[in-house]
Amino acid sequence: MKRFLPFFLCLLLLSGCAALSGEAEPAQVQFFSMDTVMSIRVYDGGGEDAIQAARQEVERLDKLLSRTTTDSEISALNSHAGDGTLVSMEPEVIQLLAFAQSISQLLPGDFDITIAPVMDAWGFTTEEQHVPSDASLSAAMALVDSSLLTVDEEASAARLEQAGMEVDLGAVAKGFAASRAEAVLREHDVTSALVDLGGNITAIGGKLDGSPWQVAVKDPQNTSEALCVLSLSDQTASTSGGYERYFEQNGVIYHHIIDPKTGYPAQSGLLSVTVVSSNQMLADALSTALFVAGEEDALAFWRSRDDFELVLCTEDNRVIVTEGLEAGYRPAGEERGYTYEIARR
Amino acid sequence: MSVSLRRLTRSAVLTALALALSVAEGLVPLTILFPLPGLRLGLANLVTVYALCRLSGREALLILVARCLLGALLGGNLMALAFSLTGGLLALGGMALLLRLPGLSLFGVSIAGAAAHNTGQILAAMAVLGTSAPLVYLPPLLLCSLVTGAVTGGVSILLVHRVPFSGRI
Amino acid sequence: MRSPAAERRRPTVWDGLVVLAVVLLAGVLVFLLRPSEGSAVTAVVTLDGAVVAQYRLDQLEEPATLTLQEASYPLTIQAEQGRICIAHSDCPSQDCVRTGWISRPGQQIICLPNRLIISLSGAETDGFDAVTG
Repeated sequence: MKRFLPFFLCLLLLSGCAALSGEAEPAQVQFFSMDTVMSIRVYDGGGEDAIQAARQEVERLDKLLSRTTTDSEISALNSHAGDGTLVSMEPEVIQLLAFAQSISQLLPGDFDITIAPVMDAWGFTTEEQHVPSDASLSAAMALVDSSLLTVDEEASAARLEQAGMEVDLGAVAKGFAASRAEAVLREHDVTSALVDLGGNITAIGGKLDGSPWQVAVKDPQNTSEALCVLSLSDQTASTSGGYERYFEQNGVIYHHIIDPKTGYPAQSGLLSVTVVSSNQMLADALSTALFVAGEEDALAFWRSRDDFELVLCTEDNRVIVTEGLEAGYRPAGEERGYTYEIARR
Repeated sequence: MSVSLRRLTRSAVLTALALALSVAEGLVPLTILFPLPGLRLGLANLVTVYALCRLSGREALLILVARCLLGALLGGNLMALAFSLTGGLLALGGMALLLRLPGLSLFGVSIAGAAAHNTGQILAAMAVLGTSAPLVYLPPLLLCSLVTGAVTGGVSILLVHRVPFSGRI
Repeated sequence: MRSPAAERRRPTVWDGLVVLAVVLLAGVLVFLLRPSEGSAVTAVVTLDGAVVAQYRLDQLEEPATLTLQEASYPLTIQAEQGRICIAHSDCPSQDCVRTGWISRPGQQIICLPNRLIISLSGAETDGFDAVTG
């Protein structure tokens, strides 16, 4: 028996090596949905089954919420605009519409899900992007008013009061999908996962070793670099920035985040806004709304609440991080000229 | 004195000696010089070598187990018990095996014992922690065991020759 | 137990072999535990979920060009030692071309209209798990 001891020893050592290299291989999937690239990485629990279930849930919601899919609930709502029909819809869609309206009321003029006609005028939803004529822009702007969207939660129905109005859930759909995907993953006993819905990162739990996920915020002026790195667990980080989609005409750059007050790309002095919250929908909606609102209003709004944190990147190369993120955050763009400051309540 | 009583006394004295050595060793930790977790001179191994050479494998095993249990009682640390017991048993097994080979001296035997002890400690740490992370400490520990093993080897040669337990007291 | 080893007072050649064995074991362990792959950077090109090409960027000696005519909007990928980019694309948004060269594990080039992803993987990462934005 003792003769075999060295042999067993070697086996033991070798098995240790195998465990070392196989430690952090997640089950993962990457797919296209909601006009963006999504990836789901699961490190424990139901693995492959969990991932496929979450993916199907996201794809189901895409069909439900897309404005460009003709048989979606949103298309049904839009097609009945102005004809007085109360369109009955899935309770979850009604809930999402009501949530979007509540954000419009919280931040009047900064967020409006009925902005779709203006987006179309700019061509951001189609392939031909261009500066709209004054006439077509003012015609489109006349159709933007989320107070003319009636949401009846009891009847699970909604109605657009004016012909030509259209709802686009682009600013909240990914957040909603993230919350649903997280719920599905948790049903499959997943406690450690990363859901990336087109740069909208939902961290489920922490890493297997218990430490938080490290999530980089993209440098809006150099998208292959990181602006800073945040430590997240059980939180969603959602970022909006003009750099995500834009076009150039006559030497001027026009980005895709339209200010509902002007109908033009928001000129708020911000390059990007990252919202971190345990509420996925809030993170998604606020990143768009606070990008339009600008630095001062965004920080004022942050001080009025306690359910989210911010990273703001300004046009004059300042990065403002709110104090709730201070622990576990590290700057990454000093050599590119950024200065970092912590905002306090 | 009857045989079994003599054996019992002998084992008890050696156990006490081994315990004293390992406590003494703990007072002057080598890790101050070399910040390597698990690094120690392994003086208690001297007793194991001596017991293997002058007594029997059974008694060496008995002394080892008793020393580890008492040491854990003194130190009050169950983790340490797992480490020292795994390391000690592996060292004991390895050295008993090598003592049967004709060509070696106690230098080689002690070095192998020290290496086996370190390996056992790391295996125990891997089992307790449930990760293979401690494995990275093994190569430097093995290299250190060349030195500590040679030192205890030299001392054990002196010990074995100066204290010839012939079986009669 | 009587052992010849117990009677010797000087080290023997065989002791040297024990030393050698221990050193060798340490060496083997260091070798096995070395960070896998080192600076390896692999670029994987997927078109609508299917892998169409793969490059070991760190081992690429000659620049390589790949033209995908079968994509919805034909595009040309250019790879050099250590980096890769989309040199030209017929897609309307041009986001993929604007991304420029990528070279570090974890980076991606995405062409949404084509459902094309070029992703880099390797042992060394930038120290984070995901990117928002």
